[in-house]
Amino acid sequence: MYVEKEENAAELKIGDEFLKAKCLMNCEVALIPEHKVFEKSQQYVKRFSRYKNPDAVRDKILARYQLAEFELCVLGNLCLETVEEAIAMVPSIESRGRAQDDEAIEKMLNDLSLIKKFE
Amino acid sequence: MIKIGSVGVAVSTRKKQTMFLKVQLHWNVIIAAENLQPEGLMLHRAIIVRLLSDFAVKKATKDLGYFLAVTTLEKIGEGKVRQHTGDVLFPVVFNVITFKFFKGEILEGVVHKVLKHGVFMRCGPIENVYLSNLKMPDYRYVPGENACFMNDKMSKIGKDVTVRFSVIGTKWMEAEREFQALVSLEGDYLGPISTPDI
Repeated sequence: MYVEKEENAAELKIGDEFLKAKCLMNCEVALIPEHKVFEKSQQYVKRFSRYKNPDAVRDKILARYQLAEFELCVLGNLCLETVEEAIAMVPSIESRGRAQDDEAIEKMLNDLSLIKKFE
Repeated sequence: MIKIGSVGVAVSTRKKQTMFLKVQLHWNVIIAAENLQPEGLMLHRAIIVRLLSDFAVKKATKDLGYFLAVTTLEKIGEGKVRQHTGDVLFPVVFNVITFKFFKGEILEGVVHKVLKHGVFMRCGPIENVYLSNLKMPDYRYVPGENACFMNDKMSKIGKDVTVRFSVIGTKWMEAEREFQALVSLEGDYLGPISTPDI
């Protein structure tokens, strides 16, 4: 029978994984937030994040519509509404010989809005 | 492989041009002799702290763009002692996220400064994204306390407005270790947008 080991930091029972881990103090980790580039980027992505569940977007859209990573990123970042807009923003989705007709693109945009709607 | 000065090499995993990239870097980390502890974990810690510090100072490179965050430390190689100082140089392999603009890319930014001949926007870590009035057809400058650019349809580009634009050129400033970008609204579906409620 498997018995889960009880963790107790006072007795240094923190699991083998953490015993081997490199521990950093707050003042050491503070090196990261002081990193201005990261802060600005964090503000930007928080403001422009369109989906709470990126995995759903990747799983449902990437393979199903034979998109390249870059195309998925543009579609996921810009919140496009119409087929014309999608083609204007990502011309390659129409021209890469994957038979992405207007109907397929519209279905893809609907799938994206459904993911957003039910998050 | 992409060379980065004398620091090491980077292997990019990107297949296509996009703004955020996952990259593997090979750098050398120098640990001062006084920080060398016989105990393994202390040395590990010193290497990580030094790596994060170097990473923050590095800020950006022309090839890879802005360095945002270290995600994983893959490998710490065998240290080599530097003869005169006694410092030890450790080769490290680690994964990072970087941010870079590409010509032709369509992005969104936020206006932070309005001038007579154009506006400056912020997009991620890049502060100097310049949109010239020559590159926003049909918009005219409206002076005043809250100066802005406006077109006949009363569409407004002013402070704190979100604008979708196309990148027409980037410039790497070696001294400041940062990029400047020139952008345009010439194209379909570009211009100020009302950000959806997120």
